[in-house]
Amino acid sequence: MTSATSALSVRNATKIFGAQVALDNVSIEVAPGEVRALVGQNGCGKSTLIKILAGFHEPEPGIEVLVGGEPLEMGDPIASEAAGLRFVHQDLGLVGNLDTVDNLALGQGYITNATKTISWRKERSKAREALAALGYEINVSMPVAGLQMSERTAVAIARAMSERGTPPKLLILDEPTANLPGPEAQRLYQLVRRVADSGVAVLFVSHHFDEVFEMAESVTVLRDGKLIETRAVAGLTEDELIELVVGRKLVEHDKGEAADREHGPQVLQLSGVGGRNVSGIDLTVHRGEVVGVAGITGSGREEVAALVFGGHERSGEIVVDGKILPQNRPDISIERGVALVPAERHANASLLDQTLRENITLVDPGRHMSLGILRRNPEKADVRVWLDRLSVKPSGQTEYNMNQLSGGNQQKVILARWLRQEPAVLVLDEPTQGVDVGAKADIHTLVDEAAAQGAAVLVCSTDHEELVRVCDRVVIMRRGKAAEILRGDKITAENITAATIGRDTAEPAA
Amino acid sequence: MSEIQEVAAPRRRINFGFDKYSGIYVWALLVLVFALWIPDLFLQTSTVKQVLTFQAISAIVALGLILPVAAGAFDLTIAGTLTVSVCFTAWALTNGHGIVVAAGGSLLIGIIIGLANSLVVVKLKVNSFIGTLGMSSILIAIAYMITDSSQIVLSTSGYAPFFEFARTELFGLPLSVYYAALIALVFWWILEYTPGGRYLYAVGGNPVASRLAGVRVGRVTMIAFVASGASSAFAGIVYLATIGTATPDSGSGYLLPAFSAVFLGATQIRPGRVNVLGTLVAIFLLATGVTGLQLAGAPSYVTQLFNGAALIVAVALAARTARRQA
Repeated sequence: MTSATSALSVRNATKIFGAQVALDNVSIEVAPGEVRALVGQNGCGKSTLIKILAGFHEPEPGIEVLVGGEPLEMGDPIASEAAGLRFVHQDLGLVGNLDTVDNLALGQGYITNATKTISWRKERSKAREALAALGYEINVSMPVAGLQMSERTAVAIARAMSERGTPPKLLILDEPTANLPGPEAQRLYQLVRRVADSGVAVLFVSHHFDEVFEMAESVTVLRDGKLIETRAVAGLTEDELIELVVGRKLVEHDKGEAADREHGPQVLQLSGVGGRNVSGIDLTVHRGEVVGVAGITGSGREEVAALVFGGHERSGEIVVDGKILPQNRPDISIERGVALVPAERHANASLLDQTLRENITLVDPGRHMSLGILRRNPEKADVRVWLDRLSVKPSGQTEYNMNQLSGGNQQKVILARWLRQEPAVLVLDEPTQGVDVGAKADIHTLVDEAAAQGAAVLVCSTDHEELVRVCDRVVIMRRGKAAEILRGDKITAENITAATIGRDTAEPAA
Repeated sequence: MSEIQEVAAPRRRINFGFDKYSGIYVWALLVLVFALWIPDLFLQTSTVKQVLTFQAISAIVALGLILPVAAGAFDLTIAGTLTVSVCFTAWALTNGHGIVVAAGGSLLIGIIIGLANSLVVVKLKVNSFIGTLGMSSILIAIAYMITDSSQIVLSTSGYAPFFEFARTELFGLPLSVYYAALIALVFWWILEYTPGGRYLYAVGGNPVASRLAGVRVGRVTMIAFVASGASSAFAGIVYLATIGTATPDSGSGYLLPAFSAVFLGATQIRPGRVNVLGTLVAIFLLATGVTGLQLAGAPSYVTQLFNGAALIVAVALAARTARRQA
């Protein structure tokens, strides 16, 4: 295979951020019409590689990139595009309230006639043709927000595949089926096949082994910024691939309900709980126990915390201390002793331009009320105790606004709001997202303490080291189901990663 | 205060309280300017009385508006509610009903309007700006229906007891001023010293976070709209008892000043959040400017000019405060 005929040839790609080598001398080559998967754990360097190709990152000198045999200028997004590299990001970059015609025209302009009026008829037929070439027949005059997920992905790919001066040579997809239910993923596999059959190479980044085995002819594995191996998918087993990704041979997982370790009485019980993308979750959490929930994006992991708390519609039953929790009534959940530290604290938990005091006492502002007046001094004293207990920096400043604190300290304030309620059930969703190392360790200690004081704790997290650090048990979510449970020694970051990306043997990949 | 800011956020500029109390400085400056310019006309107790009396109705409307705005919702029905209240009260009185029925009925109408607004905004999920804009058009139509598209004049002799409700003087000031003061006190207490106030500001600050912290967001919004509706309706009763004439456009002049006052007020006392004291400062700042200019011989349109300019300045100031805090 000579680089002259390759759709993409990358030699010696290195990228250093500060003291960290994100990408270490990686070389890959993709032939025209080939479908290649790029896999690896978070931080393995795959997105750095993609960003170098897209012209977002300037790589270290010594790199050589050829697209269709022509050298590519580094660090220039326009040059990447002109060379025939086309990108579809996970969020697709579509404008939801515009129709397919308008979305395809974004960035490349409309066909106009002699009077500079948009020729809608020509635009519509061109859009229909572009999608038909991908095997999709959709109403191109309907806002794309109303389309199915796979149809939207098709629109984004159609846009990427349009001519724009030079014909596309390599289509790069980021987690193309991450949010797609089975049948829709199947349609997308066929779409990618068609793209490849037209002679365009496809490189896709993935955490989903389903799509690797279904779509790719070959797979490139990166680990810690280094190229581990590129090999054909044919003949590769899932266990072998997991081992390549994780870098270690894996022990057998414990499956099903084995006896729980000695904890207090059960506090939280989920029976057949389902929501938008999850179904049939049964789970019991005991007093003093910390249970983790892991899963890749789209597995349903991101929904579990809100379902337990009653933040949105659900099916099934949740019982806390013998009482059934109503759905959609956070106020009653709180009354029953449930606390939720939600993910994305800015959007879901913070009153950014209000004081730490107001943020912390939001759950029960009336605690220091007497004779019809909120007493500010006792309230401040109360809040100060909590700020100290969680070592929020700067210390003791109850009247600071939330937006004056760093991310880690903001997260501690939200945690203080709930620990102050002495919850029976503490639900944490991505508790250390965007938090620095020191604060992270503090937060983990606080979780330990809350459990030691008798709370039943549920931690949903994509940070597998974190789950190892705090959990007694880890539930693995796959395709909307609680697929597996890890206990004791089996709880290692590698095992969790492997289990989250593993295919569900119980369910055929539909 | 300055100590806190130095430690906390070095990016933030040190201020001298000018941010918080700029309105009071500007007010003092206006008083000084007019005192030097037209001392004979301006420096009179009658001027003080005039400013306070004329602003009592505006103040009641603006104070009511604080609650929905604190909860992050616009209430554009305030002027329409005032109009309907004026017209209904006048209609009831001229049709032989007693003061209690007329005034009580008006207040009830104000509460119903608040409930209707919250139905539109909370249940039907219509953006509050659009929803209350639509509602206010409906209210104007109702006012025309009540008055049969004309005006209702209450003769001073025939309805003396009703006029006493607003015009009776106590320590040289009409009762209407005391009503405004009382309402200000109640709302100040609610917003600053009760859990309800916390909930209002929390919902206005981040409704999603508030809901996840157990705040009944829909209920809080509803209460805010009801308080606003009731305040505007009460202002309508006071208006009729002060002016004595009801027309379908009685309230048209109250919308903009109320919004100006609330948003200008949000730059005062507690910058970045709408509040009662700030709103009062804003109202009297605007009124002092307008009254002074009128006494100095400015044409009557100066009121509109001054209010409009003040609203823009207020929002620009608020945006500047927000940028600084971010």
